[in-house]
Amino acid sequence: MKSVRREGAGPPRFAPVAAAVTALAALLACAGCSPPGAGRSPAGANQPAVTDPVTPAQVAELGEVTLRMWADQAEKPLMKSVVPAFEKRYPNVRVDLTYKSFDDLVATVVNAASGTNPPDLFQGNIGYAVDGALVKAKLVRPLDDVAAAYGWITGTGASTLAPARWNGSGTAFGNGNLYGMSPISEVQGIYYNKARLDELGLRPPRSLADLEKDLPLVKKAGKQPIMLGNSDQYAATHIFSDLAATEQSPASIRDWIGGRAGTTFVTPGNAKAAGTMADWAKKGYFGSGYDGLSNEDAVSRFAKGSGVFFVGGSWNGATLDPGKFGFGALTTGGAGATASPWHISASSEVTPAAVAFLAALHTPRTGQEILDTGRLPVVTDGVKGGNTLQSQTLDALKRTIAAGTQVGYYDWTATDMLNVMGGKLQEVMSGRTSGAEFLKAVQDSWRTARQKR
Amino acid sequence: MSTAAPTTGRPTETSAPSATGGRRRPSPLARLSSLSWTSLLYVAPALAFFGVFVLYPIGISVWYSFYAYDGLTVGTPVGWGNYTAVFTDGRLRAALLHSLVLLLFYAALPVCVGLLLAGAMSRIRVYGLTVFRAVLFLPQILSSVVVAVAWRNLLAADGPVNAVFRAVGLGRFATSWLGDFDTALPSIGLIGTWVEYGLCMVLFLSGIVTIDRSTYEAARLDGAGPVREFFAITLPALRPQISIALVLTVTFALRNFDLIWNTTRGGPGTTTTVPSLYVYQDAFQNRMLGRASALAIVLTLVILLVVVVVQLALREREGPRRRFTRPRTPDRKVQSS
Repeated sequence: MKSVRREGAGPPRFAPVAAAVTALAALLACAGCSPPGAGRSPAGANQPAVTDPVTPAQVAELGEVTLRMWADQAEKPLMKSVVPAFEKRYPNVRVDLTYKSFDDLVATVVNAASGTNPPDLFQGNIGYAVDGALVKAKLVRPLDDVAAAYGWITGTGASTLAPARWNGSGTAFGNGNLYGMSPISEVQGIYYNKARLDELGLRPPRSLADLEKDLPLVKKAGKQPIMLGNSDQYAATHIFSDLAATEQSPASIRDWIGGRAGTTFVTPGNAKAAGTMADWAKKGYFGSGYDGLSNEDAVSRFAKGSGVFFVGGSWNGATLDPGKFGFGALTTGGAGATASPWHISASSEVTPAAVAFLAALHTPRTGQEILDTGRLPVVTDGVKGGNTLQSQTLDALKRTIAAGTQVGYYDWTATDMLNVMGGKLQEVMSGRTSGAEFLKAVQDSWRTARQKR
Repeated sequence: MSTAAPTTGRPTETSAPSATGGRRRPSPLARLSSLSWTSLLYVAPALAFFGVFVLYPIGISVWYSFYAYDGLTVGTPVGWGNYTAVFTDGRLRAALLHSLVLLLFYAALPVCVGLLLAGAMSRIRVYGLTVFRAVLFLPQILSSVVVAVAWRNLLAADGPVNAVFRAVGLGRFATSWLGDFDTALPSIGLIGTWVEYGLCMVLFLSGIVTIDRSTYEAARLDGAGPVREFFAITLPALRPQISIALVLTVTFALRNFDLIWNTTRGGPGTTTTVPSLYVYQDAFQNRMLGRASALAIVLTLVILLVVVVVQLALREREGPRRRFTRPRTPDRKVQSS
């Protein structure tokens, strides 16, 4: 047998397995000496400050360059008009734009920004999961100088910049340096089916009190009062936030969302709002089976005439027929926020071009184009709605911005808040959990997230 | 063509003795070892692919699992911290319980249904069997997102399933199947059963084809009925196929994510959460890559454990089929000494 061993020069047949295991072990052994992420260095700390609006001459100095951008595919209609205009004004710049679905964008943009060849200008998302990570890892350029040079800090929509302000370590937002800018605004409120209201002899609700009076009447008439699709777990949290915003000061909500020490979710206002959600669900105001219906399906059913009211936000309006539906804010100066902000990469080599593009997004002309393509602009000077639904939504937004009280969204406060709050609220609405337990679970999750930062 | 196959296959075998000097007839082991060198060349591309896309990521996951790491800033070592967090997380216990329920629907039920259908088809001559097989196998080929969206509509409050219930006077059972706290998990389970039973059936049918028809005839002459015949002949003969079916379906059940994400997102409440849902959330939403990796590795080990248990339980014992492999046993003894 020995001779056979000698002659069989090849390794035994478990060689591949052994080799693989050894390779794996070697990798692990090597890995043991350095933590993941070591060896990366934040780049581009020495970018020149912007003191005046960027001129075409300054951009021309860059020579023939490409401005690489990543955007939510919802921006496509707007970009179709903005990009050609930009390339005409700055002929030496070619815009290379990559569109991603929102989910895909949020899941991949941070890694793209930290890669070796990051896009120059890209959209993040407010809150800790994306923007917080970008700021913490110093991947995005502070924009305070840009905002000052272009007058964003004092002009219309100045308050909409707050959610893009962060402390240097990316652990608190709402105040501090500016790291992003969104030209798109959002306002929460209630859509109503005009024909259904006429049939029932009701007037459009102008407040939560109006709505509460209408709901039993609609139910009694055998119609579903509020169309709701909550299988994605977030639609009901928007209704909750509308109710909660009428019960307490917007500043206190903003503080809690911003993670300010000493604030709590366990407030009488939130308790009342949770109670109302459970009460409405019990009385059948949301119909039955809403947890098995997606928000998208609910909007399309509402558009086709099911349900009298739809509590949502301006982002739901694009698919509704402006002749048949109206919009009103339930709270004056309450719920709403800005959409995903744009960021300039800290390691961009074409910063002047990126700044010029940002500035092009923040103009009244682009504002009008934003409204024309079915969304709401931050810059509303001289912007006019093309139909009553657009005008109504724009009015609601203007009132909210004028009051300076856009509170933002609850899920900004922790990366898993949407799941925690959405899931617990489903339990509250089905009567399986008390409102008090819901508030406690949300607050516990908020505290845990805060401790980890 | 018939001569081409052996000649192309030959060089590997004939080159083996010459490589070892050709002084004597190569022993089985020598032939085996030289064979494995050359055959290694053939599998090298696949092996490289496997290494880069399977082994390397697994290694990275193991590495990450010992750190608190957000994917951007330098990770801090936490030892076994991520693993203790996995084992002390209350949410995960509930999620694992849901997985066990799904195991019934995704593995046990499809195997039973598949056996039933295959057993029935073994007795009768089915015309257009290929068409049946293709149609019943279809759910396997469909993308799980398509499956999820289709079933979300079928099971909706005003969907076709409830329409059928109402049509036959069972309207009081109609509900929003995926939106109801009590029915969501079994509903997702039944979607999984629908996806998997076709695979099981096709596996079992292919197994039944290999059973000697004369054993059925003998059983019938001895007076065995269809039930007896099934348990005495079909079931024992299908042991290897059942084992494969269980390995595939159990793996599918325990790592299931896409069906749940696209139907309920773990809701309503937390009634349909499973461990892989938390792997996704921790990795992509919460940017806790270390913790997600630890959970994924624990989940992998659990799946491996269950698969090993299934394999051991269904291991073929000494029987008539084993006889054919017996002559090789002395060789093995020589090799191992």
